[in-house]
Amino acid sequence: MAKRILLVDDSASVRTVAGIALRGAGYEVVEASNGQEGLSQLNGERIHLIISDVNMPVLDGIGFLKEVKKHPNYKFTPVIMLTTEAGEDKKQEGRAAGAKAWITKPFQPAVMLEAVSKLVMA
Amino acid sequence: MLAVDVMELSDPNVLDVLQTADGSDSESGAAQGTTIDGVFSLLPIWSRQVETSRIQTEDAIVALTARFSQIVQRIEAALNISGTGSQQTDAHAEAERSRKDLALVVDALKAIQLSRNELVDQIRTLSNYTEELHKMATEVDQIGFRTNILSLNAAIEAAHAGESGKGFAVVATEVRALSNAARDTGKQISKKVGLINDALVRIGRTNEEVAARDDQAVQASDERIRAVIARFESSTASMAAAAQQSHQESSAIKAQICESLVQLQFQDRVGQILAQVVGSMNDLSDKAANTTAGEAAQLARQHADQMMSSYTTEEQKLNHQGIETNEVGHSAVTFF
Repeated sequence: MAKRILLVDDSASVRTVAGIALRGAGYEVVEASNGQEGLSQLNGERIHLIISDVNMPVLDGIGFLKEVKKHPNYKFTPVIMLTTEAGEDKKQEGRAAGAKAWITKPFQPAVMLEAVSKLVMA
Repeated sequence: MLAVDVMELSDPNVLDVLQTADGSDSESGAAQGTTIDGVFSLLPIWSRQVETSRIQTEDAIVALTARFSQIVQRIEAALNISGTGSQQTDAHAEAERSRKDLALVVDALKAIQLSRNELVDQIRTLSNYTEELHKMATEVDQIGFRTNILSLNAAIEAAHAGESGKGFAVVATEVRALSNAARDTGKQISKKVGLINDALVRIGRTNEEVAARDDQAVQASDERIRAVIARFESSTASMAAAAQQSHQESSAIKAQICESLVQLQFQDRVGQILAQVVGSMNDLSDKAANTTAGEAAQLARQHADQMMSSYTTEEQKLNHQGIETNEVGHSAVTFF
């Protein structure tokens, strides 16, 4: 059974690129265009990994990550931040909020897939 | 310098702002205030222009990405249908199966030919019997000849015996008639045996001709079957090679389109930079509404600091510091 990944990014082009790569690698992908939409996808369905942008409208990636870590069913789900933010402060903010990895954009799909395969839960 | 640039603008909104500026300051102060207000009044216009460009670019890139994505999916579907060259193996196996099946047909033809040759061999042995029969017929004729001579001698002896030999003369005559009949029968047998022998010779000769033709036909069939199989293999091999080449080309095109999709991520980065510029201009425009000329420099410094803290990309920070850069950072993963 395919592993399910929640992909949260306000950029449709990034969702498309990441979606093609993930689906091509055999993952099932659920998409959301901001943190709030991402939270509404955490509705009891099993999610094996979350990939989230940082700078998004409505609810940003760090805020979304903090909410995920409070969620009883998803607090152990690994989260990868996929963002243009490359500053060390922001990275440490993500780390403190519970992110498992930080990938800077523009990203190579192969790099993202390698990180996903390392972190995706059985 | 800036004031001159502004005054040269023909935008009616700008002129309107310049003409309705607050005149409560001194004359030079009022003029300076008017100029600064005029400059700030441009910010919403620039902001709208940049925002329009950002939205148009984003819409176009999203549409382009979606189109590329569809192309990739179609290529993937085509690649799945065309497979990965297993057809070549299938075609080769099919040719091998056909070769074996058709070889069985040739073997069956050869077996029929062999059976007929055995039959002809058996017929040929009959020729040996006909020779014996011919010899026996000749012997019958010889016996008849000698009996005839014997009956002649008996007739002569019967004549010498006179009246008492008359009965014996009758017997001699009958024996002579029988010997003649025996000779005729021997000749008839010999003749018939000759006819049978001729027929057998003709059968043998005809069989040899037919066998030679059959040999040629079987050999020709064998050669044609081999040629057909070879052509089949050749055509399937070239079809498989073409399919494989098409598969490789499609894979390469797909890889290039995927690479193009990766490049289109610039929209996300550009979008964020432009959104920050728009937000910053709007923010500055709002703050500038109640700013005097004397406070403008401080406002600019404060705004610059605020801008610095709102950057998300490295190139924004470098641009702000006056360091020119066209380099975009490469993808990097940090595991925590």
